[in-house]
Amino acid sequence: MIDLTRTERTVLGVLIGACILLAGLVGTGVLSASYLFYLLALGGMYVLLTVGLNVQWGYVGLINFSVAAFFGIGAYSVALVTSPRSPLELELHPIFGLLAAIVVTVVIALLIAIPTLRLREDYLAIATLGLAEVVRLIVLNEQWLTRGSAGVPGIPRVTEWMPLAWVPFDSANFRNFLLVVGLVALVFLIVRRIHRSPWGRVLRTIRADEDLAKALGKNTYRRKMEAFVIGSVIMALAGVFYAHLNLFLGPGDLDPINTFYVWIAVIVGGSGSDRGAIIGGVVIVAILEGTRGLVAVVPADVSVGPLRLLLVGALIVLVVRFRSQGILPPQRELIWPGTDRRASASTDGGEDRE
Amino acid sequence: MSEAVDHEVEAEESPDVDDPILEVDGLKKSFGGLVATDDVSIAVERGSITGLIGPNGAGKSTLFNLISGFYEPDAGQVLVGDSDVTGLPPHEIVQRGLVRTFQTPKKLEGMSVREAMLVGPQAQPGESLVPIWLSPSSVADAERANLDRAEELLQLFEIDHLATERATEVSGGQLKLIELARAIIAEPDILLLDEPVAGVNPTLARKLAGFIEELNESYGLTFFIVEHDINFIMRLSDRIVVLDRGRVLTTGSPQAVKSDSRVIDAYLGGGGP
Repeated sequence: MIDLTRTERTVLGVLIGACILLAGLVGTGVLSASYLFYLLALGGMYVLLTVGLNVQWGYVGLINFSVAAFFGIGAYSVALVTSPRSPLELELHPIFGLLAAIVVTVVIALLIAIPTLRLREDYLAIATLGLAEVVRLIVLNEQWLTRGSAGVPGIPRVTEWMPLAWVPFDSANFRNFLLVVGLVALVFLIVRRIHRSPWGRVLRTIRADEDLAKALGKNTYRRKMEAFVIGSVIMALAGVFYAHLNLFLGPGDLDPINTFYVWIAVIVGGSGSDRGAIIGGVVIVAILEGTRGLVAVVPADVSVGPLRLLLVGALIVLVVRFRSQGILPPQRELIWPGTDRRASASTDGGEDRE
Repeated sequence: MSEAVDHEVEAEESPDVDDPILEVDGLKKSFGGLVATDDVSIAVERGSITGLIGPNGAGKSTLFNLISGFYEPDAGQVLVGDSDVTGLPPHEIVQRGLVRTFQTPKKLEGMSVREAMLVGPQAQPGESLVPIWLSPSSVADAERANLDRAEELLQLFEIDHLATERATEVSGGQLKLIELARAIIAEPDILLLDEPVAGVNPTLARKLAGFIEELNESYGLTFFIVEHDINFIMRLSDRIVVLDRGRVLTTGSPQAVKSDSRVIDAYLGGGGP
């Protein structure tokens, strides 16, 4: 269809191989279809988080250590507004949960970004590190609002309307999978379009040299603010989806380690690359969830949890050592579609420049 | 640009400029106890090529940073055209028609040369999020026009063969040309160049001088240039401003400045009585 670079062909091949392997596992009964789709839905959620962080770090170079917090803000907004067991007792339609999540996220993102984005980039990093802890402690301690460590159960499902009676297995996870595929597709189309626009070009200039962007007349403060808010809202969307997937929410879901998993996903995938972000998200979930199967393989006196972290660490070392730009780094010019006369005349954008 | 030269020799202390495009009035800036710019007043004639020279530490870069909004002055005023830009952020000063380049431009990672060029044009509709969704055709039209203009300028500077090369893979000299081309695509009224030929080989330096003269003559573009290469700047400039230890030492035609004993002293590291 389109000419792919060598890297893209390799990645595509591995993905197809993985799909065949998974299909084989389901076919032979090793893996239940329902569980597979649960894993894939979870993968989609990580992809959303990764795409969100990629807008902030990959496009502009903003360091956000609040990924888990924005995820939690999205998820808790939904839970508190829609669940019958929420202390707020609102029981609104899930659409209001989504709206609440977006509004609260935008407000908090602005509150943290307005004072820090004018300063050097380290200050945003410090402030978001603080925010993550603040959000977690509020969720844990403000019981009148969040029920604290008891968590919020009873979050409604949002996928019942899908006509999936024909599916030969428990379809709940399959529905969630379809929902997250839709969400990822929508978000991907949106970020792809803004990434290819002059807006995205200003962001990439800021990442390379903010003073240069300023000297060329760009309002860098405003652009950074926009990227930060957009990225945070995408993370909150992941939280919204998670709330409707898991139907229960507790403070444990805001575990700060998730922030670092998402960071690893962005770096492994290739900072600044939209497709890289998707690959990175998939790879991280494959490692985190795939290693659960290790229980059957490793000796009984080796615990799997730390082994998993070890594998993630090894992955980082390998990527940094052998492919520091990530699996699928940006490789093509980003010019607004349909305006490039050269693209139709020649095909020199297609070769793998390494 | 040349009529100003005649009466320069006696009028060196009060630079008399008929139609200034850039005026700096009593500009002061100190960092801690160090006075980097001390009561500097300069006027740059519209359509001229004005050179700014001075020994290391004279405050040339500080002055450029003050004019272009990267530093905020402690006192004084900067006027571009008729508008007071003192204390405005850099991007708003660009909108008033003043563009600057940097001594050591950073390479734009992950961009091709023409993408790097496309950062230059001002007021692109596609730089705001709303038109990207509500009027994509205006974004496409602007992008098409800017691409054409970028190709045109790359041709003018004889580097169009680099258009789709990665911006990180061009040489230092080519980078200087790209920087100049990118500043031109922003359509400034006055362009501040910070050491345009530093680290550039003599052949390319001559070429650059030719481009600057051409842009000055055919577009009426005003240049204000910091440069250490004395031959380059003397040959190119209509007027020279000499800074020394944060103050304007003298202003005048290249000939007058060259023969000024105070300038020679400053450069030879004199300064005794």
